[in-house]
Amino acid sequence: MTMEDTKNEADAAAIVSMALYTVMYPVFNQLEKVNLSAAQTLRAAIIKAEKENPGLTQDIVMKILEKKNLKINYNECLLRMAADDVKEFTIDRREPEFQELNERARALKHILSTIPDEIHDRGGFLQSIKDIASAIKELLDTVNTVFRKYQHHNRRALEQQKKEFVKNSKSFSVTLKTYFRDGNSASIKSAIAE
Amino acid sequence: MEEDVKKVKKPGIVSPFKRVFLKGEKGRDKKAQEKATERRALHTFSLSQPDHRIDPDILLNDYIEKEVKYLGQLTSVPGYLNPSSRTEVLQLIDNARKSHQLSGQLSSELDAVVSLSAYNIKLVWRDGEDIILRVPIHDIAAVSYIRDDSLHLVVIKTAQESGGSPCPSSCPDLNKSQTLSSLSEGGAVLVEVCCLLVLAVDNKAAAEELCLLLSQVFQIVYTESTIDFLDRAIFDGATTPTRHLSLYSGKGKKTDLLQQKRLLKLFLFSQTLTSVFILSSDDSSSKVDVKEAFEEEEASTFPFQVSMEAEGNSPSASTPASPQTKTASEGELSTTAAELLQDYMTTLRTKLSSQEIQQFATLLHEYRNGSSIHEFCINLRQLYGDSRKFLLLGLRPFIPEKDSQHFENFLETIGVKDGRGIITDSFGRYRRTASSASDSTTNGNGAAGGSAASDEGREGDEWDRMITDISNDIEALGCSMDQEGVAP
Repeated sequence: MTMEDTKNEADAAAIVSMALYTVMYPVFNQLEKVNLSAAQTLRAAIIKAEKENPGLTQDIVMKILEKKNLKINYNECLLRMAADDVKEFTIDRREPEFQELNERARALKHILSTIPDEIHDRGGFLQSIKDIASAIKELLDTVNTVFRKYQHHNRRALEQQKKEFVKNSKSFSVTLKTYFRDGNSASIKSAIAE
Repeated sequence: MEEDVKKVKKPGIVSPFKRVFLKGEKGRDKKAQEKATERRALHTFSLSQPDHRIDPDILLNDYIEKEVKYLGQLTSVPGYLNPSSRTEVLQLIDNARKSHQLSGQLSSELDAVVSLSAYNIKLVWRDGEDIILRVPIHDIAAVSYIRDDSLHLVVIKTAQESGGSPCPSSCPDLNKSQTLSSLSEGGAVLVEVCCLLVLAVDNKAAAEELCLLLSQVFQIVYTESTIDFLDRAIFDGATTPTRHLSLYSGKGKKTDLLQQKRLLKLFLFSQTLTSVFILSSDDSSSKVDVKEAFEEEEASTFPFQVSMEAEGNSPSASTPASPQTKTASEGELSTTAAELLQDYMTTLRTKLSSQEIQQFATLLHEYRNGSSIHEFCINLRQLYGDSRKFLLLGLRPFIPEKDSQHFENFLETIGVKDGRGIITDSFGRYRRTASSASDSTTNGNGAAGGSAASDEGREGDEWDRMITDISNDIEALGCSMDQEGVAP
């Protein structure tokens, strides 16, 4: 398998695993209040299963929805739920720059989560896009600040992640243009999820 | 019976008054009829009901005309006028009619044509086609429809002049300024002013149609500007800083590093543009050509980047850094420069024609070869025109530090920097200082030791040699460009 293939696989895995972080993690948190041990065992098992089989959690969730005959827009729900904080993705370092990074990421996720509600009102949607643009720039500025101020042994990996973020942001922009041309909102929600 | 007889008209006998009067009226009617037949057909399209939707391509690449009556334009109207307040607007119009600033009677002499596109609305007289005025879309603040008895008014609130903004009361051109100032206890009070363009249409349907068409224009323009805003945000934020803070010492080199990096970008840019022009023959092929040109550029810039990365304060400034660092740095700067170039080129490709790209390359070439920044800016502004002046913003990373202040001032005068114009630059935090510039070559306190003076001298010579080589290459490319001409 070439580097490119590995990279593409990693990208796909990150997207399909959103169900784990966005849907299941809050469920585990609630279950822990009921039965801590069982919840932790379940959490570990599903995390391991997801790692070995990316997309498994999404499949399980979709099947549950199907069984319960719930007609919901999966991408829309994912977007709304993605605004919540995920402890595993929060940076623990106390330096101001890292805390700011947390804040910027949180702000961006929050704005993105409002897209399903705004998308049908052109004026409101355009305003949201402007807010997203500002949030993306602020996040990237903060990332650049962190790069400038702090050495990291794994800098290349971090820069690769930044490039991925920029690439996905550009893809989002392209999808927006297509949406305004064609009016298909499903592609937008999928692009935002990425 | 006598009354009946009296009432019967006797043929052949017409009162002289009637003869003259009727002849005049008939003459006028005849003239009006002749005029109506002489008038050209309007450039119009059928609109889908009920919301009068029009194909956006028509507004972007074509135009649509509607017949209106032009009552006049009110100037120096306070900017705080609420365009949705019927009372406020009608009061202004009534006062204007009393003072004869606006026409009172609707006659055929007021017939005009409003031509609408995504770029501007243009008003010309129906007869003779003389232009009355032209308003760029970004100068339109609001459109109102007011029905006043049988009168159907469409009122367009616009900037007084293109890019109006308040100015201090001490401004010497106060009479011509777009600001009314009134003295208050605390001093001058600044009031923004605007214009009201007053049109009349035949009926409510025509008024609603005009309003909805303008609404669609706004949607197109502001959607496009919002997406451009998003693209610029990503573009601006995508630059990766290339140096770690602790590797720097002293502040003297900051400006030189920035200067050299910008110059490098400028060279890469001009080289790429000339390559693109030579390779491209039409729009369909040039997209691929741009990518190829960039890939070539990436390979060729490596030798320069070694020197760029090594020009810090380390004792090995004149020698290449360790292979690992060199590779990482080359990759970073190469990626940064290539990404910036690629993004801007992609933008240019979508906004300029092939011929315009050639003109742009020529201007850039001239600028690099000694033409002043002022001339460069003026020529670019002419090339881009009003609707594309925002493209100048993307040139920021490529303007050398010595010219950056002039460039920024120029952006401000043409209403691009501070939010005026179709495209707004909302990144007020962007400053052309060494500490926050996109190159992010900041200095720290970690002195790397070694004598920098002799290293600087060798670096400078090396740099000058490379600049000369690049300039020669560009000139050579330019010559071959002239010889080949524009291939079909």
